[in-house]
Amino acid sequence: MKLRILLADDHEIVRRGLRSLLEKHEGWEVCGEASDGRDAIEKALQLKPDVVIVDIGMPNLNGLDTTRQLLQHDPQFKVIVLTITDSDQVIREALDAGARGFVLKSDAARDLVTAVEALQNKRMFFTPRVNDLVLAGFLEKGHSVTRNEPPKLPTLTAREREITQLLAEGNSSKEVACLLNLSTKTVETHRSNIMRKLSFHSIRDLVVYAIKNNLIQIEIPPPPPKSPAGSTAV
Amino acid sequence: MAIRILLVDDHPVVRQGLKTLLEGRDGWEVIGEAADGAEAVEKARDLNPDVMVLDVTMPRMNGLEACRLLRTQAPQLEILFVTQHDSPQMMREALDAGARGYVVKSNAARDLLAAVEAVSQHRVFTALNGRDAAGVR
Repeated sequence: MKLRILLADDHEIVRRGLRSLLEKHEGWEVCGEASDGRDAIEKALQLKPDVVIVDIGMPNLNGLDTTRQLLQHDPQFKVIVLTITDSDQVIREALDAGARGFVLKSDAARDLVTAVEALQNKRMFFTPRVNDLVLAGFLEKGHSVTRNEPPKLPTLTAREREITQLLAEGNSSKEVACLLNLSTKTVETHRSNIMRKLSFHSIRDLVVYAIKNNLIQIEIPPPPPKSPAGSTAV
Repeated sequence: MAIRILLVDDHPVVRQGLKTLLEGRDGWEVIGEAADGAEAVEKARDLNPDVMVLDVTMPRMNGLEACRLLRTQAPQLEILFVTQHDSPQMMREALDAGARGYVVKSNAARDLLAAVEAVSQHRVFTALNGRDAAGVR
């Protein structure tokens, strides 16, 4: 019986590359694709894949919250998180969310097949940096890796985290309401609660918070070229 | 029409995705790959592609720097940026650096083939999110 894999990444080009990589492996099949976290949860519940590969930086619902919600629905799901960053905080959050695999996107061509094989054999797979973090005392300090515990963030509920991400992505309250099937008034209430809990005064504060806490990921553009000495910008 | 393409992106998985899309077209061939701007400049010199598909943010040398270098070293080469940066300002910088095309990675599956075709014929092709893809002579 084939190992069935669900891919969740907002870039179709990346999903094509992952599919091409994975389907070279005999006995593996990509049974579905999702372009955001909500789509991933819907498809996972419908298709019941053996492994779910989830990009951390997806719109609407990021990969870490997707992982948490998937495992709340069914703790048997096996999730590999794909990320562009391997910061300590991201690693901790992925482990806390219950991911069984953690792979850097830049190393996916090298590590992803090994990661899926590990999960297929009921083992976990993390990039070497994660192992270093574990040995350096992440577990020695008594930090236990338990599934589905909310991250160590100021007391936001799961719904508030979802709304924080959507607002930080540039959606208005009305757009958020539409995406989450809520009334605008309800979203506005959540928004006020979030701002109050986090002591924020502007949407900019919210965006910075969302970036720092990996609710959204951004790519830093390269610096502009230096002007030659004596030239004047037009 | 045969088009020889050099792919440049620091993520092998992205390069693989681009390759599967491009090689679906008859006559189009991915003749090489590079993982950063410096390697892109070297391979462009060695392989003489018609079109370079180029990412912006890469280690060692970013795509904008590579593009500026290549404008003087390989003026016949047409460069198409495929990037995460969905920004009119970044797009202007890319075109000022000498690129002929600019598409956003999230829409690459939709825009890439038309973009490569356009730039290979020396036409400008730019497409940001929320805007229709346009090939402009």
